Amino acid sequence: MILKIECLTKRFGGIHAVKDCSLEIEREKITAIIGPNGSGKTTLFNLISKLLKSNDGHIHFNGKNITKLKDYEISKSGISRTFQDVRLFRNLTIKDHLEISLSNSDESIFKSLFKDKPNNAERIDRILKLVHLKKPLNTLVTDLSYGQRKLLDLAMAIAKPHSLLLLDEPVAGVNPVLREEIKEIIKNLNKNKGTILLIEHDMNFVMDLADYIFVMDAGKIIAHGEPAEIQSNKKVLEAYLGD
Amino acid sequence: MIENYLIHILILIGIYIILAVSLNIALGYTGLLNLGHIAFFGIGAYTSAILTREGIPFILALIISCIIAGCFGFLLVWITKRLKGDYLALATLGFSFLIYSLMLNLSSITNGPLGISGISRPNIFGYFLKSNFEFLLFVIFIAIISCMIMYAIIKSPFGRLLHATRDDELGLRVLGKNTIKIKYKAMIISSLFAGLAGSLFAHYNGYIDPTSFMLNSIIFIFTIVIVGGIASFKGSIIATFILFIIPELLRFFAIPSHVLGPTRQIIYALILIGILLFKPKGLFGRIDLE
Amino acid sequence: MALIQIIVNSLIIGSLYALVACGFSLIYSTNKFMHFAHGISVVIASYLFYLSLNTLKINFIISILLVLILTGLFGIFMYKVFYGPLQKRKSSNIVLLIASVGILILFENMIMLVFGTTVKTINSDLTKSIEFSSFIITPLQIIIIVTSLILLLLLYLLMKKTKIGRNMRAVSDNKELASIIGIDYKKVSYYSFFIGSLLAGIAGIFIALEQTLEPTIGTNLIVKGFTGSIIGGITSVPGSILGSYILGIAENFGIWYLSSGYKDAIAFTLLFLFLLFKPHGILGINKGIKK
Repeated sequence: MILKIECLTKRFGGIHAVKDCSLEIEREKITAIIGPNGSGKTTLFNLISKLLKSNDGHIHFNGKNITKLKDYEISKSGISRTFQDVRLFRNLTIKDHLEISLSNSDESIFKSLFKDKPNNAERIDRILKLVHLKKPLNTLVTDLSYGQRKLLDLAMAIAKPHSLLLLDEPVAGVNPVLREEIKEIIKNLNKNKGTILLIEHDMNFVMDLADYIFVMDAGKIIAHGEPAEIQSNKKVLEAYLGD
Repeated sequence: MIENYLIHILILIGIYIILAVSLNIALGYTGLLNLGHIAFFGIGAYTSAILTREGIPFILALIISCIIAGCFGFLLVWITKRLKGDYLALATLGFSFLIYSLMLNLSSITNGPLGISGISRPNIFGYFLKSNFEFLLFVIFIAIISCMIMYAIIKSPFGRLLHATRDDELGLRVLGKNTIKIKYKAMIISSLFAGLAGSLFAHYNGYIDPTSFMLNSIIFIFTIVIVGGIASFKGSIIATFILFIIPELLRFFAIPSHVLGPTRQIIYALILIGILLFKPKGLFGRIDLE
Repeated sequence: MALIQIIVNSLIIGSLYALVACGFSLIYSTNKFMHFAHGISVVIASYLFYLSLNTLKINFIISILLVLILTGLFGIFMYKVFYGPLQKRKSSNIVLLIASVGILILFENMIMLVFGTTVKTINSDLTKSIEFSSFIITPLQIIIIVTSLILLLLLYLLMKKTKIGRNMRAVSDNKELASIIGIDYKKVSYYSFFIGSLLAGIAGIFIALEQTLEPTIGTNLIVKGFTGSIIGGITSVPGSILGSYILGIAENFGIWYLSSGYKDAIAFTLLFLFLLFKPHGILGINKGIKK
């Protein structure tokens, strides 16, 4: 078990966006959280990466309580994430993005001035191949298409040292070809012993991808199990059809 | 005659290059909208003037000026770290007014509105820079060293983080970088070099008073950075030359001196407004001011 | 100094700050950028008043009316010539703010060129002091306090009861929505610049009579005005008025305890404290602040 969430709760005003949510994520597995739009999936992700502060509950990661850590500390402790609306640095190139993600010493002026700069060319090349992003390294992100940005965002999350990868709707808004490509990328990551937690509102996408599935509705986990169990679960169907 | 005049202008250009490039570190590279940069310049100038008046050697006073200005840079980020946009701009502007009013009112050490006169020329390990030409060489030396250091920083991996902080702070935090710390560092570097420029200014001019560190001067250095281009190193340097030379052309028109001052400010204000209206990225920049 | 005198002095200076602050805040709330050059409207009004009354010898009341209209029009001029085109270019608020500081410097120096830097004064019978048992006040100062209060009340009624006011509030709340229901926000911008600058004009006339004329007073006044706005809440006109009086009180008590030189330092310290702990002010809404 790599991530354990206990009774996590988040209220916006009087509304529970996430209510009493508990779940456990296994190592080297692909776990998916599915649910209709507005069911609290992204809020849950934002709570894990501390972009939002929870009202109640605990999060344990690699056996450590990370509930009180700051957003960047959580990231440093080994949780990478992507965004549904990708966040990139408008005036930087693909290479810059990956160098920033790979480096763990660039925050020190002294080290970044005087220490030998690690040669990341090979790693960058490998990661870009992994996500099928074929663009010159000095391309500015503003010159990338939507799909390419999504791939770069994914590449950055992979490049950043991590032991858990959170993917926020990795195929939202992409074309069917790229969608299959991204699915393959995720499978490959998992083959290389990666632990992946992803959220997705499209049930079909995760059925032959995820090892385990949690279903959220109205801020609560309403069901969990292996894909086959979920597919036949009545509550899940209701949540989706009643939406 | 013309030589002396040229040397005078070049010394000021050297000092203002340090000032403008250091502002660009905070404003352009890191995206910290700092309208208080002139305060660091003033703090450097006053610290150095006061210390050498008390008999402290020039070099030591210069170094202490940088450190004190750097401390104020730290303080400013500490105060304003939760603010952004307009609020940050106005808070930093408030900071420069606060420093200004302290310069005016802490008369026992700053001599109030009368200012400090008779500031000694630099004495570098026993060697007095008596002539302006010697001073110019010294300024060129310091300006080159300063620019090299700042250039090395912005081209280093740390410099990349400055760009990233400006473009998407949250995005960078999610990559595990403590952006608040990055802002502290950027502002300290920026204020440190502004303090350095201030010290040079005080010892060149021989006289300082609070009015040199007010709104007119803020607009002047802002105009330099914006004309040169946000986050353009070369731009700031070239724009310093351009903006010093343009009003100097007025001297050929035999304009009385009491008209010259306001006219110069009007020119700067018009250039600033004009560039914001018609070429907001500046001459060499590729980044929009946001 | 007697407590009552401090309070009277606070009311006088608070009224002047409030006149500046409410215009600044009115313009901010409808246009969503900081019109720092608002300070120059005050200066322009005071110099126009000097010109009209002392140089052209125009009748006192007519001078006032003339100056107010001209200052209001000057506000529209600034919007039309500078801010409008910048907004059309989709410039960010920061660009508008920097431009506004440029505008302030531009006109400040133009006034210096036209009128010179020597300090000017207007002599008036209104500044002969009246002594009460525990405090001294001039007729002018009584006029300042009373007129300001009346004007601020009128502004409140304008915002609450008239169509222009309702439109302004609508634009201030949500510009897109306001324009969907057919409010011409350009027009609202013009109105807010006219009314805001006119209020600054009143402050300018008072200052011309009460103090001396200097081209550089605009900067100080706008800084005080926005400090008042921040204290009270920049998005709220009543808030900025409240904040200005608080600032007036703080300054006068500060002067009493320390020395008059620290007046500005007190204001800025207050500004920082509010930015630090209550950045959206006493009555404002949380905007522009992270989280």
